[in-house]
Amino acid sequence: MNKQTRELNRINNELNKQVNYENKEAFTDIVCYLRGANISEYNQELIRQDLLEMILSAQKRSEDIKAVIGEDYKVFCDNIIENLPPRTIKEKFLNFIDIICWCISILSAINIIISNDTISLIRNLIKGGPVNFQLSVSIGNVISAVIIVAAAFIIVETILKNSFKIGKNKSINKVKVFLICASIMAIFLLIAWLGKTTLFTVNIFTACTFTLILYIIHKILSRIQ
Amino acid sequence: MIPSQMLKGTLEGCILKVISHKETYGYEISQELQEYGFSNISEGTIYPLLLRLEKNELITAQYRESPLGPKRKYFSISQAGKKELDNFYKNWLELENAVNMLFEKGEDNNE
Repeated sequence: MNKQTRELNRINNELNKQVNYENKEAFTDIVCYLRGANISEYNQELIRQDLLEMILSAQKRSEDIKAVIGEDYKVFCDNIIENLPPRTIKEKFLNFIDIICWCISILSAINIIISNDTISLIRNLIKGGPVNFQLSVSIGNVISAVIIVAAAFIIVETILKNSFKIGKNKSINKVKVFLICASIMAIFLLIAWLGKTTLFTVNIFTACTFTLILYIIHKILSRIQ
Repeated sequence: MIPSQMLKGTLEGCILKVISHKETYGYEISQELQEYGFSNISEGTIYPLLLRLEKNELITAQYRESPLGPKRKYFSISQAGKKELDNFYKNWLELENAVNMLFEKGEDNNE
């Protein structure tokens, strides 16, 4: 997010606090849907600013969001998106690289911190035992990272594209939820069991530098977009 | 109430006409249209059309501080917008004339 977009985002977040309880859910759904649209973050914030002005003015006239926007929020959003320039291939590519770098840097940092090798390294440094700066990266670590990043993409996309449907169906199929959760658990247990084999070892300082570089790339890309 | 399908092609021209009177904003445009008989035209109905007019450079927009809180977007008509408005009105008169002729002459022929 560049400086101009960040400033607009900050102003909008402040204004968002003034949206009353009755309008909040519908407005959040609208913003979620716009976040998933193929438009730049700056245009998303500009639209958000206009909508906030419309809704807050309506609140002052004691009108609700339906009186301003109508009943079909999705059609309203699609009509808006249709009249905004779509993101270019370059913008999409940079955004994708930015998210990947961010995700991998976070997962890498977590893996460094919770690794058994890091824990024994700290223990030996305190006790004065023999120190080994090498970290083992297993097949399981790599497969889990790929699954987590892919799943995060799919979940976010699904929520954003279906913001007007999700949560509206109050009857939750408990068996379906249990089966999904059990399948996810089974996959991770399988990975943990099968993926114990060390794929490669890496020096802890190299791993930290790699994580830092990815984080810096994310920071730079998010500022220039 | 005018059916939305019928309104589709004409609403942009009517919005352009309202903006040509003076610099104005979304809610004021919807209110003015309602005063002229366009019932049920909400701010949300005209907002995407305002974006389209802006994209096609027929109107220009400027954000101004609003006494009520968030910045408000004010619209003015551009030179291209004035030309488009003349064009729209010419086309409208032609359509109005054709429809009237059809109904009037159609009535005479039936009698």
